[in-house]
Amino acid sequence: MAGGQERVLRRRIKSVDNTRKITKAMELIAASQIPRAQSRIAANRPYRDGMRRIIIEAAKGDPVAAKKLLVQPEHVASAAVLVITGDRGLSGAYNASTLRAAERLVRRLQSEGTTVRLFAVGKKATAFLRFRGLSVEETFVGFADRPTFADAREVAGVIAAPFIDGEVQQILMVSTVFHSSASQSVEVAQLLPLTAPEAPVEEAPHKLVGYTEFEPEVEELLFFLAPRALESEIFTALLDGAASFHISQQRAMAAATENADDLALNLKRIMNRARQDSITTEIMEIVGGAEALRSGK
Amino acid sequence: MATLRVEIVTPEAALFAGEATSVVARSSAGEFMVLPGHTATVGDVVPGVVRVQTPEGEIAFAVHGGYFQVGTAGEGVTLVTVLAGVAENVADIDVARAQAAKDRLEAELASSTAANPDDHAPHLAAHAALARAELRLRAAAK
Repeated sequence: MAGGQERVLRRRIKSVDNTRKITKAMELIAASQIPRAQSRIAANRPYRDGMRRIIIEAAKGDPVAAKKLLVQPEHVASAAVLVITGDRGLSGAYNASTLRAAERLVRRLQSEGTTVRLFAVGKKATAFLRFRGLSVEETFVGFADRPTFADAREVAGVIAAPFIDGEVQQILMVSTVFHSSASQSVEVAQLLPLTAPEAPVEEAPHKLVGYTEFEPEVEELLFFLAPRALESEIFTALLDGAASFHISQQRAMAAATENADDLALNLKRIMNRARQDSITTEIMEIVGGAEALRSGK
Repeated sequence: MATLRVEIVTPEAALFAGEATSVVARSSAGEFMVLPGHTATVGDVVPGVVRVQTPEGEIAFAVHGGYFQVGTAGEGVTLVTVLAGVAENVADIDVARAQAAKDRLEAELASSTAANPDDHAPHLAAHAALARAELRLRAAAK
């Protein structure tokens, strides 16, 4: 009986070791993706900041014209919500916390009487939201790990269409913002109508000047700038999401590897004790048998 | 002496950042040149070639539409930022690839337009790609 228990334990240890190998490999792969994802965020920053600066400049240069385009709707009958998640799981709370925030937002909008149309990036979003009775109009998959600008452009084209047609008055985005490798947070941002960023862009290299010329005029400029700004904001969110995903996965897999180590160690102890027990029992049996034989003589 | 700093930026990378003597580009209001000391300006850049004169010679960029901002970055430094979704250094253009893309897209558009002559929406992406291929060829030919 004791020998059987030992065999079962040995098999479990082997299985835990195998799992550990997989989680360790996933941890290393995720870790190797982080620097690349971060450098892509850094590469995009000048473009994104430049876009925001132009909007700020335009809003300042011709407040009347800008107000027309940056005007916020008084009543939002219908809104589009874009949720950005990952294509893969095993990444800790990354997908779940974004999706929970999205669900909260949708419920709040619905309770205010707003019709919500959902769009999502990442395979994980559809299943989660459908399970909660929210249908996703369109899901974009296949690029959450390594988004390109063309991907952002595609998403922007699809979600801007109902806004251009006047079917929705507002487009919101729920995504993970990457502050640093130690800090990411889920945030809700308004994509359209454009908002002039309130917080000044970090270390703007363009100093404030008294008078700025516009070619073409602000109204026309902002009109054509809106889709470009939308693409830029979505691309930024995709890059932030990818980096956050890799970091989250690396952390989750490191924890899983550690758990596997602990588990294997515990099982090994139990197995050794079982082995010792069985040896002791065996010796006792031999000794007992020998005694019996001798006394029987 | 006034100096001119030029940055040509796309979402994927900064194509150029450095000192220059002048920049020539075309906005919807017409062709313009930026020299050191240029007044603060914000505007668009229509698809075309942006020429940057540097002390080492001219560098040309094929810019597939974008925006520019002229401002100052400190005393006597004029800063020009060109923001483009897609742009490339003309020297890096693969002419054979652009030509192949152009031929393929023209054939594609001809057949899809014949099948569906009234609805333009499905062809927009192909038209945009074709315009990019044509600009690349034009830029590389110069």
